Amino acid sequence: MAGAVPSSSLRISPVDRRGRKIDPAVLAAAEEILPRAVAHGTKLLGDLAVIANLLEETAAVVSRRLQSDPSLILNLPGYLLICFVRKVNRVKSRQVVTVSVSQAAQPNVAWADPSEQLYTKILLDEFLVRCDFITRDMASRRMAGYSWEEIGRVHGMSGHAAEIRVRYVFQQVRGKLKI
Amino acid sequence: MAEPKRRKDINEEEFFGFAKSYLSEAFPNPQRLGCPPDSELISMAEHPNEAAHPIVSQHLTCCSPCFSRYMEILANLRRRKETGQ
Repeated sequence: MAGAVPSSSLRISPVDRRGRKIDPAVLAAAEEILPRAVAHGTKLLGDLAVIANLLEETAAVVSRRLQSDPSLILNLPGYLLICFVRKVNRVKSRQVVTVSVSQAAQPNVAWADPSEQLYTKILLDEFLVRCDFITRDMASRRMAGYSWEEIGRVHGMSGHAAEIRVRYVFQQVRGKLKI
Repeated sequence: MAEPKRRKDINEEEFFGFAKSYLSEAFPNPQRLGCPPDSELISMAEHPNEAAHPIVSQHLTCCSPCFSRYMEILANLRRRKETGQ
């Protein structure tokens, strides 16, 4: 879900602030997930410098893990993103939160609860990346309340075929992320 | 001994409900950077075509105002088809 926040100004250093080296493969993965990491980090923490530090620290830890046993990590960008999101979440949970009375009176927004919806958010992010144009359009129509039959008609296939197509990506992403 | 806390499985319907709520609010884009004209959203809703709308489709995943508008267009289109207009 890149694009909402400018991530082009952010550069990942090959060494984190504690002087730990980042493996080149992990650095490349960090560059790959940067737009999504910045979008998520900005929503929760807001400060690009903090986000860059956290991403570098996460990349350094993942580099060590990769060196100790490369077979542990099958999908490096996905693994790095999950580790980063968890780190951001931990930092966010330690922050002192001050809210106005009017904010406190508002009903809870599901996506704004970082711990409760964290996995669904990661799943959605990966799902949207994995979808091709047609599958994404099918998912959008499903969100708009279309039945699978209606979705199938739009794309010249049966409702069952449309459902299977979307479900395939959904299951694939769930399997990959183990969510 | 206390049972370890088990994460609830995410089913597809919950997932699409969450996706709609999240994409509708999480990317405010107040300056409306990169937003396509309404006509492109309508065109994609009526005749989705990969060659004609690749950028619009991507844009909807990171712009809540456009996503909400697209949901509205799809809902109107569906209603029109149901009433046979």
